[in-house]
Amino acid sequence: MTIRKTLMAGAVALAGVSALAVAAHAEDTTITVWSLDKDIQPAPNLVKEFNDLDNGIHVEYREIQFDDVVSEAMRAYATGNAPDIIAIDNPNTAMFASRDAFLDLTDMIENSDVINADNYFPGPLASATWDGKYYAVPKATNTIALYYNKDMFRVHGLDPDQPPETWDELVETARTLTDPENNVYGLAFSAKANEEGTFQFLPWAQMGGATYDNINTEGAVEALATWKEIMDEKLASPDTLTNSQWNATATFNAGNAAMAISGPWEIDRMLADADFDWGVALLPVPEEGAERSSAMGDYNWAIFSSTKHPKEAFEVLEYFVSQDDTMFENYGQIPARSDIAIPPTGNALKDAALATFVEQLKYAKPRGPHPQWPKISKAIQDAIQATLTGQMDPQAALDQAAQKISAVPDR
Amino acid sequence: MKRILSSLTDGRGFDITLVAVPLAFLFLLSGLPLLYNVLMSFQEVDMFSMGQLARPFVGFRNYVDLFSQPETFGILLNTAVFVLASIAGQFVLGFGLALFFGTQFPGASWLRGLFLVSWVMPGLVVGAIWNWILSGDYGVLNFLLTSTGLTDGNIYWRSDPSYSLWAVILANIWLGTSFNMILLSVGLSSIPRDLYEASELDGANVFQRFWTITLPMMRSTIGAVVALGLIFTLQQFDLFAAITDGGPNNSSNVAQYWAWDLSFRQYDFAKGATVSVIMIVFVMFASLVYVRSTRHEVRG
Repeated sequence: MTIRKTLMAGAVALAGVSALAVAAHAEDTTITVWSLDKDIQPAPNLVKEFNDLDNGIHVEYREIQFDDVVSEAMRAYATGNAPDIIAIDNPNTAMFASRDAFLDLTDMIENSDVINADNYFPGPLASATWDGKYYAVPKATNTIALYYNKDMFRVHGLDPDQPPETWDELVETARTLTDPENNVYGLAFSAKANEEGTFQFLPWAQMGGATYDNINTEGAVEALATWKEIMDEKLASPDTLTNSQWNATATFNAGNAAMAISGPWEIDRMLADADFDWGVALLPVPEEGAERSSAMGDYNWAIFSSTKHPKEAFEVLEYFVSQDDTMFENYGQIPARSDIAIPPTGNALKDAALATFVEQLKYAKPRGPHPQWPKISKAIQDAIQATLTGQMDPQAALDQAAQKISAVPDR
Repeated sequence: MKRILSSLTDGRGFDITLVAVPLAFLFLLSGLPLLYNVLMSFQEVDMFSMGQLARPFVGFRNYVDLFSQPETFGILLNTAVFVLASIAGQFVLGFGLALFFGTQFPGASWLRGLFLVSWVMPGLVVGAIWNWILSGDYGVLNFLLTSTGLTDGNIYWRSDPSYSLWAVILANIWLGTSFNMILLSVGLSSIPRDLYEASELDGANVFQRFWTITLPMMRSTIGAVVALGLIFTLQQFDLFAAITDGGPNNSSNVAQYWAWDLSFRQYDFAKGATVSVIMIVFVMFASLVYVRSTRHEVRG
């Protein structure tokens, strides 16, 4: 009897507590947000700030692992447990948008006082678009450019303020700077058999007049032939085929490569590791005056179409966007917007590098958008690797890639 | 009623329950997913139809598509080479070490224990370490080879299509040797000492003793080690992800990595399932060989 009484009392107490809790937030709408951001990155902090506003919308945050974002999201959507808002890698946005899994935000953005499509760089904005409508809002952005070791330029009699501007100059400079005796390669980049390989090659192909659905243009073949030339002459390490961008840049930082193609995420590590004078240049183009291009990374914010509170979810997104101007200062990420100036950091090397990256971002192009992007990417990786290992010539490899890509279904 | 109940605690019912419970578990946890996998290989599955069972049925189209891809044959061949070479390497080294530590020199048992470190380490860690060892420009392995004069230039283990698969095999042999050694050590220690003493009195030399006593007595242990080796090598995924990503140009791609790539990188779950079904066929064949090889076993 006593046990029963205690249990009863406990149950009543519990019910009372939860009733109180419910009462306190009875009018609150709960919005769930998923992203891969950790404590020091934007999402969880923005969520906290938003909740502190106490404006009747309560946001719950869940961190998901990098490798699980897409599979978690689609499992959740398939079983009706999708979050309201998710941060999704930009080439995967179209996959969800094409299946109407994401909410069409076009009208909401048009009527919004905070989110203005004109403020964004064209590349990130295109990645958030499908079929002429906006299905997402760019969260942040990054791209790639050419890092070079100014000290090595001086040693070899090159002008450190005249980095290579065309492909020929790049190859020529790499030839001059390659020094097998001292274990120095002219260039470091990544041709790995994963998305990183596509990320690095696609801008070259695009500058050669190619698009992902027309990959075997003359210019793209020339781009791949240039890569092969660099590999054949050992101007870059043969391990370029398996090195990640992170590994490739590490050889640059250690003084074992004179130039490296990589992104702004390397700047802080370079400042810590590289004990030489370095600079960043725009990605070299096929010939002077040619169209520029570069790859585009980072995530988009999207609202799942299954949300019960589209209005509130969009309000949360508006808050996130309203904080874009603090993103670089607080979290070191570049906002995807051309209307926000990156504030000076006080470190001349870093400021100069960032200025180049922001300039390069104007030419950044998204991968896709295509709902089956991973398959297209795989075809491109296969072409790169078949060429660089000498198993196919550039033309045949890209022809095969084009054939595979044309067989990829539209949705 | 009472009789049925009492037979459940003691008698036929009890026996049946003992068998039925694990069978039900096996069916639920292994059988159903296996059937589901086979079903998926005959359907068109993408990420948005993952949740439902009724999906467009495409017959053998996934199989036809898969076998018409240019890389398929190479990947299946790589899988066979990877499995055979890994098992052979792990087994020979493991057996050698087990015999060595079986001689009971001072400190043998704790030295043997130290060897287990490699088995305890997670595959991704092992992969990361071997990634450095095998690095073409600054790898330890190349340093050893060139400084001892065995090779006169760097070998690009991970990036040269003729070495990349062997680079992963090397790492996998290192990873699996100690496990083989421990199992084989247990087998060795269960052979009665007096057998050796008697044969020694009869004048049998070391090789004769090994051939006529050790090997036959170890038959079931060896069978188990090889069967487990087959399972572990067919499961080996981390090393590929950490060292080569299946590249360059699929030269080190194997079925298990490919199945993952198809499913979770290209989101083509039907093709991924199809590759797994092909792997199941291979494993079934291998386990048949194993069962046949041990059926003459006297069980005590």
